[in-house]
Amino acid sequence: MNSKRTLGGALKALAITSSLTAASLSFASTLTVSSPQDPGSWDPIDTFLVNWASVATNIYDGLTYRGPDLKLQPGLATSWEQLDDSKRIRFTLRQDVKFHDGEDFNAAAVKFTFDRLMGNEGKKGPQRSNYSAIDSVEVIDDYTVDFHLKAADPVLLTKLAGYGAMIVPPKYIQEKGEDFFNTHPVGTGPFKFSSYEPKVGIKLEAYADHWGGAPKLTNLNYRFISEPSTAVAELQSGRVDLVIPPTIPIGMITTIEKNPNLEVITTISPTVYALRFNTKNGITKDEKVRKALIYGVDRQAIIDSILGGQAAQIASFQSAISFGDDPSMAPLPYDPNKAMQLLKQAGIKPGTKIQIDIRGNNATFNEVSQAVASYLQIIGLNATIKPYETNVLLNDIIPAGKTGEMFQQSWGGWTLDYDNTAYFMYHTGEKWNPYDSDPALDKQLESQRSITDRAKRLEILQSIANYTANRALEMPLYSLNAIFGVSKRVKNFTPVPDSRLRLTDVTVE
Amino acid sequence: MANFLMKRFLQAVFVLLAVTLIVAFAIRLTGDPALMLTQGAGSVTEADLMLIREALGINKPFFVQYFEFLKGLFSFDFGRSFMGGTPVADLISKSLPATLMLAASVMIISIAISIPLGIKAAVSKGKWADQTIRILSLIGLSFPNFWLGLMLVLVFSIWLQWLPPSGMDGFTSFLMPAFTMAIILTATNVRLVRSSMLETLQSQYIMVARAKGLSENKVLYKHALRNCAIPLITYFGLQFGGLLGGIVIIERVFNWPGLGTLAFDAVSGRDYPVLQAVITILSMLIVSVNLLVDIAYGLIDPRIRTE
Repeated sequence: MNSKRTLGGALKALAITSSLTAASLSFASTLTVSSPQDPGSWDPIDTFLVNWASVATNIYDGLTYRGPDLKLQPGLATSWEQLDDSKRIRFTLRQDVKFHDGEDFNAAAVKFTFDRLMGNEGKKGPQRSNYSAIDSVEVIDDYTVDFHLKAADPVLLTKLAGYGAMIVPPKYIQEKGEDFFNTHPVGTGPFKFSSYEPKVGIKLEAYADHWGGAPKLTNLNYRFISEPSTAVAELQSGRVDLVIPPTIPIGMITTIEKNPNLEVITTISPTVYALRFNTKNGITKDEKVRKALIYGVDRQAIIDSILGGQAAQIASFQSAISFGDDPSMAPLPYDPNKAMQLLKQAGIKPGTKIQIDIRGNNATFNEVSQAVASYLQIIGLNATIKPYETNVLLNDIIPAGKTGEMFQQSWGGWTLDYDNTAYFMYHTGEKWNPYDSDPALDKQLESQRSITDRAKRLEILQSIANYTANRALEMPLYSLNAIFGVSKRVKNFTPVPDSRLRLTDVTVE
Repeated sequence: MANFLMKRFLQAVFVLLAVTLIVAFAIRLTGDPALMLTQGAGSVTEADLMLIREALGINKPFFVQYFEFLKGLFSFDFGRSFMGGTPVADLISKSLPATLMLAASVMIISIAISIPLGIKAAVSKGKWADQTIRILSLIGLSFPNFWLGLMLVLVFSIWLQWLPPSGMDGFTSFLMPAFTMAIILTATNVRLVRSSMLETLQSQYIMVARAKGLSENKVLYKHALRNCAIPLITYFGLQFGGLLGGIVIIERVFNWPGLGTLAFDAVSGRDYPVLQAVITILSMLIVSVNLLVDIAYGLIDPRIRTE
């Protein structure tokens, strides 16, 4: 009798505990994200990969913060002022902030972060060159630092919101070592590191003490899935809640949309596509020919048919969210007659050959380039497409000036500042500008780099955009949307243009 | 036997040296990893690149780099990945078991299916069972494996939702990648078993076995199968090597965290140390499987042992 009662009590107790567990489980919510690439290291100074940022934006904070609305806000610095002709910036730091390991965030941590970035450790990685304007960081007191700059950098405050400028914990790195930090990142962000399995995934959990408030999710799991069809299959089978760019190709959008449990969410992105011209040799040396080629291709038709409307025409080599875009500029219209007329004036005979170099691994752009080639056929040119392995085209063909008359360039910097495109594409001697040299353009490009007055700078950047369009330095094609595949269980999801997804407000049903 | 093993061991060392040398040379033709790392950066000066090359150790002459690699090989130290700096040995120690387990499942499934089917086809030569098996194997052979993989995912993960579409996560996650590869291997293996069985069944000792009044199963599985095992084992051994190569695509389709995925990322990322290590490991595996096959000959056929 007695033993029965005890057993009954135990069972009851068990029932209560299990119902408690069930209740607490319903509060726990995990979002599983498919990301196309494992950056291999979570150290902010080691990489340029956007898929580093799509995870690390949740682990780290910068002095400044830029969210989905793309407005610069206070981050770990609550305020800042530009001093000495913008050659010194004084930051007031947020107090009572702790790193995930319990270490205090203070001026020493900021100094350590930038000394490390600009010093020996930073030299081994690709991030340092982005912050070369910084000369030194001086600790004024525990919560004030001065950045001394070699020259004013109008984009620096934006750059402090991401990548190499993420604030890292000094004691943790000194004690555990650089290698350990690569695979066990610690920051001050809203999610803290839980586990990482190379090539498989990384798991984060909510950091309830984040200065911006605790995130609504309890866990954030990223799985690295590079094959688009595999990522979409995982989404369809409900094992992944969110597929982030760049994964989903245009061709798969309908597959996702057909599934009642899923949706496709897109937003404008900084990524722009152009076919740039060899302005040094061949028929594209002649500006008239370049313009003829642009008139000859119906870019809107390409967007509507091949890109399913997930792109917008551009008039210069930047998207509409880029600082420097001139909304009053219109792309050259599609006008094959005018194109043929211009070609005739330039003395180009029908059947003249023209070569288009593209990255061979992008199925969508393959179709786009075929469409371009057929449009060029219509105006009497004999266009051939030469596909390259992406890395070969980017590292060995374009910088060495070994392209055909036209070559694919896709570009888009997270700073959303036209300088990051224009300077590298048009300034004499730059890696991405193997052919052109224009002293007047160089002068404009250099002049905006030291101006911190936003209105003045915008004016110069817009004039550069107009100037390059007038010279027809490239055939501007389109800016492509960032495409997210999302399960309908996911609520409050706001897509971001720059892959720097901070998932603090997201919930999962 | 010791002599034989010694000879084979020296051969293996020579093969490995040749393979590693070719790989080390070939991967350096793909281009500069420093450029790759800074691809997203705008202005990177030659001085910046030099610093990165120095940190990666690729500014040294080719043979110095190659000998450092060889030296490391003895202590299983393959250096560090260019992408993120993780020790390559760590990456290998996680992905090698994943690939081996998958490859072993493929071989087991394929052999378990192809031997009975092949024998059935041989025994019923020209009859409907033989015809069906041959047609099925032709169909199996005609599938490109990545397509077959995607179709299985469509049916079993998306429509029926029985199996996980990708990743290595328990027993169920093995089924689709293993069967995808196994179906194609089985298609070839059935034909091989059938033809070598046919040949064996015509020999006189089979006639003798039958004349002795042994049961058909005993004749087939004890006498005939054992006698046609030599060509089969040789072929399965070679196939295992080919399988390790073919697994790259399947690992990608199923996002399998194995050597194939590692190699794929390493090629596209110009990650010399990782690629060198993966290829070295794969060639070691293939060389040792071939050695095992040779040793197995002696166990199966005493005539070879005495020779």
